[in-house]
Amino acid sequence: MTLFDWQANFAIGVDEVDHEHRELIALINSLHAALGEERAGERVEAFLGEIFADISAHFALEERVMRERRYDAFTSHKADHERLLDQLRDMMDAQADGSALDDVRLGAQLAEWFAGHFRTHDARLHHHLAR
Amino acid sequence: MKRALRWVILRIETAFGAVFGPRLNPIVQLGTLGWFLFWIVTVSGIYVYVFFDTGVLQAWQSLERLSREQWYLGGLMRSLHRYASDALVVVVFVHLLREFALDRMRGNRWFPWVTGVPLLWFMYACGITGYWLVWDQLAQFVAVATTEWIDSIGIFAEPIARNFLDSERLSGRFFTLVIYMHIALPLLMLLFMWVHIQRHAHARVNPPRELAIGTLAALVALSFAWPAMSQPPANLDRVPFVIGFDWFYLAVYPLLERIDGAVLWLVLVGGSTVLVLLPWLPPLRKAPPARIDLANCNGCARCFADCPFGAINMVQRSDGMAFEQEARVVASQCMSCGICVGACPTATPFRRAGPLSAGIELPDRSIAGLNVEVIAATAKLTGSTRVLVIGCGHDAGSQQLADGETAVVGLPCVGMLPPSFLDFVLARRYADGVLLSGCAAHDCYERLGDEWVEQRIASQRDPNLRARVPRERVAVAWNNPVQGRRLRESLAQFREHLRGLGPAAAAAMQQADAGRPSAAWRARLRELAPPLRWSGQGAAYVALMAGIAFFATQPSYTYLADDRALLKLSFSHAGQPLKPCRRYTHEELTSTPFSERRATSCERGRWPVYVEFDLDGRPIYRGTHEPAGLWNDGPSTVYARFEVPAGRHRLAARLRDNGASRGFTAVAERTIDLRPGENFVVDFHVAEGGFQFGLPTQDTAGGEAP
Repeated sequence: MTLFDWQANFAIGVDEVDHEHRELIALINSLHAALGEERAGERVEAFLGEIFADISAHFALEERVMRERRYDAFTSHKADHERLLDQLRDMMDAQADGSALDDVRLGAQLAEWFAGHFRTHDARLHHHLAR
Repeated sequence: MKRALRWVILRIETAFGAVFGPRLNPIVQLGTLGWFLFWIVTVSGIYVYVFFDTGVLQAWQSLERLSREQWYLGGLMRSLHRYASDALVVVVFVHLLREFALDRMRGNRWFPWVTGVPLLWFMYACGITGYWLVWDQLAQFVAVATTEWIDSIGIFAEPIARNFLDSERLSGRFFTLVIYMHIALPLLMLLFMWVHIQRHAHARVNPPRELAIGTLAALVALSFAWPAMSQPPANLDRVPFVIGFDWFYLAVYPLLERIDGAVLWLVLVGGSTVLVLLPWLPPLRKAPPARIDLANCNGCARCFADCPFGAINMVQRSDGMAFEQEARVVASQCMSCGICVGACPTATPFRRAGPLSAGIELPDRSIAGLNVEVIAATAKLTGSTRVLVIGCGHDAGSQQLADGETAVVGLPCVGMLPPSFLDFVLARRYADGVLLSGCAAHDCYERLGDEWVEQRIASQRDPNLRARVPRERVAVAWNNPVQGRRLRESLAQFREHLRGLGPAAAAAMQQADAGRPSAAWRARLRELAPPLRWSGQGAAYVALMAGIAFFATQPSYTYLADDRALLKLSFSHAGQPLKPCRRYTHEELTSTPFSERRATSCERGRWPVYVEFDLDGRPIYRGTHEPAGLWNDGPSTVYARFEVPAGRHRLAARLRDNGASRGFTAVAERTIDLRPGENFVVDFHVAEGGFQFGLPTQDTAGGEAP
């Protein structure tokens, strides 16, 4: 069962950014699949670390694209990136401390988290780039 | 020796830093100061040029008028032009010595080092041609000494010093050439200064505003207090005895009286060659260059933006992934400082699904290895104020700080540390605080490490330190290698500060909700009181300006003792042909095509000219002068200068130009009365009856130029 599917309206029209969005969704899905398996704790921590590294790089690239194309809402979009990363870091610490949310809610939160960002900030970026 | 020089320079730098503060420290701003001085010289030079009369006789007068009638602006500009040029020499040499002493000319830095060498030559050529243009007694000395010196190379068929033999032969055309050089050379300097910083990304070009204003104000004050003036006007028939001398530009000239000009050329060219080769004596043994791991690189270009040496290019993607670009390292330009690793968003210490690996890594210092080392080093720490010190190889000895509650991890540059490591160490409570110890502020050995670290921590540059990381647990200490005590003091204060905070709690709980992230914590170190600092700055400016004003004219140079005169034997005369021309015979002419017929056949070669010159019956010169030209068909030239006591002398000159083994073509004798300081020329012209003693009419001293 996949948690979260790529949807055509997620595309922002920059191939490399869309490619990374797909990869991130696949990563979140595999994290979700790992939940509930044996020794899940360690694997979840590693998956979160993987998502953190990948998403940091992804945001770096997306910010580069926004800067180069002089995106007008760069500041608020970037602030949302920082907010997402801070939340992800909180999840990672909680996981490492053993005070994590239950696994189902963790997966759901991650999926919601991305979908929310895609629907709002990335969608606006898409409109801007399409102009 | 280099170590001693390094120590001296760092001490001076520390003293200046105490007075000016790290940001305005002139010793770390030498390059930018040089650039600023260049522009003062250029702007004031353009102003002076507007009023400068380029005629060889009007030049002196026009400058004199400018200095006296327009002292408030023209005189100021002229003084600025001179004093800023002198200050430039000081700044350039300290800059050169410092980069050498701190070993900043090897590896990729050979480029600014080597391109700086021609700049030295251009700077001197500018200064020398500049003094020439004033056409005062110093200019006269410079003109004669420079042309004689250039003649010692022997590349010109006719010695160019003959242009300045006496007032009769003074060539306005050569003077014009010097003016063109004085304008063209600064343009060349500008070009080379641009090239000089090409390999430095984010090169610092302009000095901090306060330093620029202070320097300009000091130069203006000096210009009014002690305006730059001309010396008495030049007169080629008289030799100046004592000359006010600019030692910044002309220091080598007195040597010419003692050693042969050609030897001095060899010394200077040899010295420059050694300078040029210095970056490879011996070559830098540097760690392997940074390497890209394409699996972790999406082409975000952060390493490209942060590399201080322009060693990273963004190029078209080569692995078929959907990304447009990838980073590529230019191995020969990489200094292996690791600042690119600190900029890479994938360089995180947090556990990942696979092994830790960043998009760009130093092969000798991997992120995974750093992670292991940080954990191992901090594991031994005890107490509630455990500090992890991240040091660099050029700081004030961070390696010696390790003890029971201090762990030290060294990096090539602190700029290599990805900010997420700070998050990791504090959130996972491996330490209660992290101290980043690097080179002196604004003077990172890897150029930009301190700047990027400060900006990343203050969230002004990506990758930034996450807002959730408590800044009061991240300290920075910037010190040069002789400031060990300051570093220890910073650590002690940081520990005291941490004791007040209590042990690190879960980072998430400390998240600073309100307000923007602040900058890193730093110790309050003893500083000079502001009145002391300002008076210190004032004293530094006054001392520099006084030194410039003094050595711009003092100590004066005694060119000729006041009871002596100069005698010059100089002429240009073509020896006779090796064979006399002969008429073609009738047969020869008829066998030659009509258009090529000539009456005579002449061999091109000529005999050398042999000269003897006696003073009071003593031989003082004997010489054989080969004809000039590829076919030995040009004139033979003689240029010899003798310093003699003033008074009555009997001169005898003899010349042979026909290859005979004895006898002379021309012989002349004359008794002359040499006044002290007289410049007496013995010339030779066949058309005017052979040897000429002195000017045709001696009373036209200082007469019109041709």
